[in-house]
Formats: sequence, C-alpha cells, structure tokens
Amino acid sequence: MRLVNLLAELIEEKCTGCGICVKVCPTLSMEMVPNPNPEGPKRIVAIHAETCVGCWTCEQRCPFEALRMVRRPEPYTVRVPVEEVDRQEVDALCRKARLNPEQVVCFCTGTRAEEVAAAILKGYRTPEEISRHTGVRTGCKVECTQPILRLLEAAEIPLVPTLKDGWQLYGRTITAWEVPEAVKAKYASRGFYFDDDIALLNRIVSAAGSRKGG
Amino acid sequence: MRPPIKPIAPRKSQYGIDPALVTMRGSDLPGMTSVLLTDLFPDLPPVIYPGPEGVAAVRRATEQALAGVDMSMIQPGDSVNILASHHGFTLLGGEAYAEMLRTIRDVVRERTGTEDIRLRAGVGLRFRETEEYIKRFGLDEYFQGKAMGIAPVDRGIPIETEIGTLYGIARAYDAKWIIHAHNSDVREVHFHRQVDRAVKPFGMSYARIETRSTYHQNLGPRAANFVARAIFESPFVQSKFAFTCFLVMAPNGVVRVDADNNLYAVNDRITRDGCRYYGKVMTLLGEIKDCIAILDFPAPVPYNFAGGVIYANFCGVNVDLFDLDNPLPPYTWYTEAYYGKDGRPLIEGVPPVNPAIKMCIHNYAWTGYPSAFFAEHIPTVVVGEAQAQLMRDDPQNIYYMDHAMTAPSLKAAVHFALRATGTENILVFDGAPGGMNVSPPLAELLKAKAPAVSERVERELLPRWLRQRGLEVAVPSPV
Repeated sequence: MRLVNLLAELIEEKCTGCGICVKVCPTLSMEMVPNPNPEGPKRIVAIHAETCVGCWTCEQRCPFEALRMVRRPEPYTVRVPVEEVDRQEVDALCRKARLNPEQVVCFCTGTRAEEVAAAILKGYRTPEEISRHTGVRTGCKVECTQPILRLLEAAEIPLVPTLKDGWQLYGRTITAWEVPEAVKAKYASRGFYFDDDIALLNRIVSAAGSRKGG
Repeated sequence: MRPPIKPIAPRKSQYGIDPALVTMRGSDLPGMTSVLLTDLFPDLPPVIYPGPEGVAAVRRATEQALAGVDMSMIQPGDSVNILASHHGFTLLGGEAYAEMLRTIRDVVRERTGTEDIRLRAGVGLRFRETEEYIKRFGLDEYFQGKAMGIAPVDRGIPIETEIGTLYGIARAYDAKWIIHAHNSDVREVHFHRQVDRAVKPFGMSYARIETRSTYHQNLGPRAANFVARAIFESPFVQSKFAFTCFLVMAPNGVVRVDADNNLYAVNDRITRDGCRYYGKVMTLLGEIKDCIAILDFPAPVPYNFAGGVIYANFCGVNVDLFDLDNPLPPYTWYTEAYYGKDGRPLIEGVPPVNPAIKMCIHNYAWTGYPSAFFAEHIPTVVVGEAQAQLMRDDPQNIYYMDHAMTAPSLKAAVHFALRATGTENILVFDGAPGGMNVSPPLAELLKAKAPAVSERVERELLPRWLRQRGLEVAVPSPV
C-alpha cells in the first residue's frame, strides 16, 4: 500500500535524451519518444502519469537535472486487497518463499509479504507491475527487491526483464538456507552465525501472526 | 558547569530544510551543558583531528600510513578508482575524510606516475548525497573532472562469489585498480554488529540494489555480514584491489590513518578499537533510564550523532549490540520486519526499542531513510511545518508524519516534552565534536556511571566481544 502524492515532470529544455531515467524507473513509466521540437535532441522522454508513483528515482539519477517532482492535485493510494485473494494461497506462497505473510518487506511503505503475494496471485507477473499496484520498490528502491524476487520465484514466474538494456533488476540472489556448508565451515570463527540465523528465520517463517488490522 | 559544545552546523542539501529555518539548536536551550568524552573515559586515544593543525594533521597521517603500502602493481597510465562512501563526509563536518581522499590521490600519482585517478563515491539511500559532497569539498576540481557519485540503481555488474552471483555498481569497478578509502566509525552497529566492518562497503556503498537487499532481507541479522566478504573475496574484486586506506575514528575524533595491502589486517585493528571505545560509550548510554532525545544534525533520523554514536544505536542500547549472542537488536531491518499487523512482534524475544527514550524531538534531520519505525515506536515531535512537509514528500517517509506531531518551535517542543515525560534528562544528537550536549542532570548521571562502565567493558564485555569475532583478546591497540 502506498500513498501516491507526487508525479515526475520533465523540464524539456534540459533533457538530452540520454534515456537513463527509462533504465532506472521501477514502474516503467518513462519512455523515449520523438522530440517534436526540431531545435532539441531527436528523442526526449515522455512520462506516463497514470503509472508514475512519484518515487524520485528519475529525478535523482538524471545527469542533467531535467526532472523534478510536483505534487499531484488529487493524491491516491495504490493497494492490492489481500482479502480478495484466497488466504491459504497467500500463506502458502509466502511460506514457500520462506517469508512470513505478515512480515514487512518494504520499510518505506510498511507493505507486508502477503500484499506482494496477493498481487502475484491476482496476475501481476513482473516486479514493475507489482510496484505499480502495491507501491513496493518505490520508496528507497533498494531493500525490498529480494523478497519480491523470492515471491515471484515461489510462484514459478521467471524474471524476464521487461525493458531490454534496463537496469531495473538483475536477479535473485542467495538466501540463508542456500549457503553452502563448506562456506559456513570456512568462515565459522568470524561471527557470521549462519545456522543460528537460519533458526531465527525459520521461527519467523512459521510464526502464526496476528491477522489483525489491514 | 561546562558550556555546550558548538554543534555541527545545518547543511544546505536537497534532503533537508533550508538551514535558515533552523533558528534554534538544542545546545541553545537555556541551562544546557556538555560532557567531554575524555572526561568520561580518560583512556580514549588522543585525536589528530579536530586539533590545532586542522586537516594538515590528516594529510600528514595519510602520507605516513601510505608510506608502508605497496603500490608497485599500479603502472603509469593505469586507471585507478578511489572508492569512497558518503558516511565519511558526515564525520566532524567531512573535511577530514575529504582531505584523506585528496592525499591518497596525490600520493598515488606521485609514486606510480599514473594520472588516471578517479573518485567514485557511493551512497546509501540518498542517491545524490555524494554529488553534494563532491561539490562542497571541491573534489571534482581536485580530481580534474574525474569525481562522481555512484548509486545502487546505476548500471550493475555481476560478480561471481562463493555464494553465487552478487551485483556491484559497474562504475565502481570500471578501472584496472581499486583503492578502498573508508573510515572506521562504528555507525550502523545494529546492522553490521562490528563484524567485518572494514569490508562492508563492498556489500553496500559499491553494490547494487540486489546485493543490498540480500544483506537486509535474505541472510539473517548476523550472517548478512558475509555478503561483503563474499564480494571482496571474489576473483573479480581481488584482481582489482590494490590497497585500503582508513580514517580511523574513536568517538572523540580522528585517531590516525591506517593503510594496508591486507584489508583484513585493518579490519582486525579497527574491530578491536571499535569494540573498546564505541562499546564504552554505547554501554554508558544504556545506563540512561529516561530521557528526551533531540535530533539536530545534517543527516537522516537514524544518523544523527551524539558522543560519536548515532541515534539508531541509541534506540538499541537497551541491548548489548556488540554481543553476537543477541540475534536481534531493538532496531534493525530484520527486527522492523518482524512486527505484525497488531503492532506486536511475530515471535517472542524481539527486544523493544529503547524504552528510555520517552520522547524524540526532531529539530533538524534529513529525509532519505525509511524512518517511520522510529516515530511508530517513540513519541515524536517534529519542529516546524516545513520539515513535516519535507517528510511527507519523501517517498521513504510518506507515513512518518502519521505517527508524529508538529510543534511551532524547538522551545515549544521541549516545553511539551518535559511536562509530558517528567524527565529532566535531555540528550542532543547534534554531532558536537568530542562530547555530548546534555541537560545538567544527565551530565551528572553520565559522569557518575562512566567509571564502572569502563571497568565492565574492559574486564567482562570486551573479551567476550572479541572472542565472538575470532580475535585474540590480548593484542594491544596500535594507538
């Protein structure tokens, strides 16, 4: 769940058509289009306001400071209602991904694993679609990426980059349960506590949860 | 009674309000005093900065440290990336770290003959933060147009490791050689637990989003620290690593500069120092049973400093953060993840956020770090509507103000906090160099408790902390 209160806006005279904003946008809301202005670069970015959630990524990475954030006149909230999806399927998908349905996966929006699972069960098949509809990956853009990929993998949906040459997401990485025993043994004395942390994570995955509130 | 220490000044940044709006600092409150860290812990090492020589002392220390480093692998014409991180620029105003970076460039150029020396400065979650520092400290000119900020959403590069593919930022590694230029400030001990502190930027500042999320979501609160080591140990990084250079910090300032071709040697040295000196300050702060915290520093909520310790650590000092037998600090993203919808932890054994913090006054702190957790768990008053709106517009803090109230001024906020909490203890997180700005009752409490804390750390806690990290207890500090 995320309040969408801002929107990216192009400062046309500063845009060089480099396309970096397109490569980094977590909701694929930027597109390069022919520039109607013959005085400017051949191509220029167009912003799809209907899917832009105002995450600032384009503004933060544009080398020419050609993007700014403006307030939306009518803010709205994106949310996938977990109650519209079979509860058992949500729980099963989360636990297959070794996540507790109630655990927070996005610290910027407070979004929990169950909402991402519900989004997948409702048919959203890419990280970008999930971001558009739940708001995850549109705050810091960093910390929630692996739980999204783990849940997609648990649903047996392969990560296929929507955008050729995009930098949105490269792939799922290792989890605690997959660390080779030889690695654990090799570094056992240095304070990594691999198996103790697996035990902790297992307790979280299997915890009942409160099931209160939304 | 000591007068307050001059705090670090507000800094113009896109992540904070206009410094002109910060009309009063916590240290300006009537009756405030200060305590010096060296009065609390006389065994703290002497500092070279701040000091009468200014940053000249840092330059000299860097030159001396680099004199013992082998640079013969770097040939004239080779490209070299000096890898830096935003954190260093938040220490004591940032000039000391900037001077260490300038000095590394000068020494490498002089000794190797290469001119292609770049600065690549990584960030946390404020993607333009090091761009601001590069401008502020004139580093682009110093590096002849070859300084740039790098962010975790920038183009990535796969790195094959002992635990599979992880991802670095391509620009960090686009040179023949890399020099790891960091600092030893303990800072996020709630995350790294002083395990492989020197290695951490390889899994964070120089790493892509996938790798950082691996650290914070996939491995567990202690095992996460292996991410950085896995990347550093990779043949790819080893083929580029030339040496490392560290600004060595104690809570009271810059102690020395350490440089080595062996990163793990530096790691062991700073682990010892970090546990000993920061461990004492944090253990002492854990003796405070009730207080009002005032955030008053040019950094996001968790990174406001008092006594060399960040607010995020103060939120967890009710637990021994250095003791690895405690799996979950009161604040870490693993902990935050484990609160259910009813606001209670999903499992038993999740420690509460430091109950001594009766109220937090957000007088001046930046956006750019997900901070709603702090406002959810600690009654929070934000000074000024401009700052409240800044938080609402921050995609990482959309809901922060749902849990906080505003006050028109610092005075009004403190008046309310004193009455509502009943405590007379005030601790200001304003980066005051060498000490802490506090209210007189808290000054007395800290002075009374410090000797026993020092004794306990030396005799009981430090040996345990070092053993947990595979370090010999008896090796003396090089200071």
